[in-house]
Amino acid sequence: MPANIVKDEVVLKVDHLKTYFDATKGLFAKKQTVKAVDDVSFEIYKGETFGLVGESGCGKSTLGRTIVKIYEPTAGSIEINGRDIAGIKGDELKSFRKDIQYIFQDPYASLDPRMTVGEIIKEPMKIHGIYKTEEEMDARVSQLLRTVGLKPDHIRRYPHEFSGGQRQRISIARTLALDPKFIICDEPISALDVSIQAQIINLLEQIQRELDISYLFIAHDLSMVKHISHRIAVMYLGQIVELGESHEVYTNPMHPYSQALLSAVPVPDPVKGKEKERIMLQGELPSPIDPPSGCPFRTRCPYAMERCAGERPQMKMYGSRQVACFKVEEENS
Amino acid sequence: MEQNEILKVNGLTVDFATEQGTVHAVRDISFAVREGEILGVVGESGSGKSVSMYSVMGLLADNGTVTAEKIEFDGQSINASDYDGKRSYEKTMQSVRGNTMSMIFQDPMTFLNPTITIGKQLTEPILNHTKLTKGQARARAVELMTLVGIPSPETRLDQYPFEFSGGMRQRIIIAMALAMSPKLIIADEPTTALDVTIQAQVLDLIKELSKKMGSAVIMITHDLGVVASLCDRINIMYGGKIVETGTDKEIFYTPNHPYTKGLLACIKNPEENDKDLVPIPGSPPDLLKPPAGCPFVDRCESAMKICKLKMPPETVFSDTHKSACWLNDARAEKGVNAHAR
Ligand SMILES: Nc1ncnc2c1ncn2[C@@H]1O[C@H](COP(=O)(O)OP(=O)(O)O)[C@@H](O)[C@H]1O
Ligand SMILES: Nc1ncnc2c1ncn2[C@@H]1O[C@H](COP(=O)(O)OP(=O)(O)O)[C@@H](O)[C@H]1O
Ligand code: SF4
Ligand code: SF4
Ligand SMILES: [Mg+2]
Ligand SMILES: [Mg+2]
Repeated sequence: MPANIVKDEVVLKVDHLKTYFDATKGLFAKKQTVKAVDDVSFEIYKGETFGLVGESGCGKSTLGRTIVKIYEPTAGSIEINGRDIAGIKGDELKSFRKDIQYIFQDPYASLDPRMTVGEIIKEPMKIHGIYKTEEEMDARVSQLLRTVGLKPDHIRRYPHEFSGGQRQRISIARTLALDPKFIICDEPISALDVSIQAQIINLLEQIQRELDISYLFIAHDLSMVKHISHRIAVMYLGQIVELGESHEVYTNPMHPYSQALLSAVPVPDPVKGKEKERIMLQGELPSPIDPPSGCPFRTRCPYAMERCAGERPQMKMYGSRQVACFKVEEENS
Repeated sequence: MEQNEILKVNGLTVDFATEQGTVHAVRDISFAVREGEILGVVGESGSGKSVSMYSVMGLLADNGTVTAEKIEFDGQSINASDYDGKRSYEKTMQSVRGNTMSMIFQDPMTFLNPTITIGKQLTEPILNHTKLTKGQARARAVELMTLVGIPSPETRLDQYPFEFSGGMRQRIIIAMALAMSPKLIIADEPTTALDVTIQAQVLDLIKELSKKMGSAVIMITHDLGVVASLCDRINIMYGGKIVETGTDKEIFYTPNHPYTKGLLACIKNPEENDKDLVPIPGSPPDLLKPPAGCPFVDRCESAMKICKLKMPPETVFSDTHKSACWLNDARAEKGVNAHAR
């Protein structure tokens, strides 16, 4: 069950953010740009889980990585607790690196196989010098292992001795080592078995309730995202096309792309699953190097009109929902 | 072999020799596939789903050995002596398999050669297995590409795999699998790497083609949504065993085995936002030393003393529904399975 959130306390504010990559092939080739994140704005509250969904390549990881300063934004701003992160340096950067953590999808690749579990969890503590003695660190590691449902005597074991779910627990323990305020979970359960996914989701929720952490939860499994998130944003070709309360978006998507995406989710029921009507999208996802003019979805949208090619629809409010679509605009005016 | 069974497997066991010892990957499983049906195989990763089907296809890693009481495909039986050594088994399987069994893998690139055009890769097997001329084979390839929904097939035949998206490549693999109108298609997680919108298209394609060509399909997946929307019958695997088998409705509406119930509970709750998920605690057994009794015993809330000691026998609920769990024994203390929904 998602924890209660404090709506007036904004932890993260992303404003008109753009992250472009240079994709030019050779010295004399024409300049090409991948518009991986293209003018995205949203806020995340304290203690909130903000779900981000969309097809692979739509820019979810790039957005997450720009927020943790792995990538430089091309334009726009990112504020953490009211502070613009663009110019931060020195001690401030260090405390920023401590407050914001990133959990990767692959619990196999993200843990160094030559290090013991203890060393893996201690590494960030050492970098940030938060504990003076080994004993203090050991005590904290034991506590963290217990928090994530492992045993303190696992401290001397190596990653290969653990299953996928247990490894993801180890990376969560490492993430928690610095008492972060904000964690970006980039498809943290995609590589895990269904029976183990539920364990990790429960763990993330329990940690959130206890520590008041906010999550940006990136995933492509829509039913799990819906379960864990307070709000959901749907991304398409670098843009957020719909944003709203998770239950509302899931049960009543308004943007034609969200509708298609949700109709494609297979229902785990033999009768409903076989009867479910799907909105089949025509064509392929366009390249982010040469995105369509106007609405990014117009090449596959069953409702595309002339206007959709000419101008880009802006996010507009409908109750608690934001949607960027001319059809929705016309129907609600 | 019953009349309409295309594949019948009895007592299949697969072991792998490793540095750490013998991995007992598949332990004495029996199942059948009927003509034209879609059979789902669901289970924890490492439970033996892929290995059991690969050995039926005669595709086995070098360190593997197969034993079985009986494997019958399309009325042809494989003799006990054929299991002696990997080479003779593979040879036998390949001749039995012929053109009538095909496979679709999770990663299409394991099957596609990146340096050869799609057209050549599609027409080669047609030329090898039929008397068609080059021109006729190409026409057949165009037909197959159209069938799997690839636009402008004429021009796309001359392109290389990298010029296609993941979803399109998977369609090409399906086109290749269909080239010989197989009686059985084994699909191993064919949509796991795809986005849901593309997955929906590929699943519809498999369903439609199986209907049109009458091919049976074995669909290996860990996605219960996928099995529910595609499969007629389902085998649930755990720790190298089939722990429960039934029709789609029997498995989803009247599951018997605690592992099946646990799996369903894991995916049922996300639908209800305000409830905590009910995960299955623990992790799967080590197949180097699988438990003597029920493979699920370490994670089962209802486990009794007997479960650790002896493999539970199969209880038959209907022609199609069977489950191997000691709770179905008349001697099981009533109330132990109180957690069953
Ligand atoms: N470092 C990079 N350099 C160039 N292009 C990139 C880089 N990272 C991602 N991209 C491109 O940006 C787009 C968005 O990628 P990504 O953010 O990984 O999407 P998602 O996480 O939604 O699957 C893709 O077209 C991808 O190829
Ligand atoms: N060539 C091999 N050598 C040793 N062990 C293997 C080999 N191939 C598969 N296994 C083991 O056999 C078990 C079953 O594997 P598999 O059938 O691939 O599982 P899944 O149900 O995920 O498809 C696993 O424990 C796996 O590690
Ligand atoms: S703006 Fe036009 S093309 Fe875009 S989603 Fe709405 S109707 Fe479709
Ligand atoms: S046999 Fe025993 S351990 Fe196995 S599923 Fe049944 S009750 Fe649980
Ligand atoms: Mg990503
Ligand atoms: Mg497998």
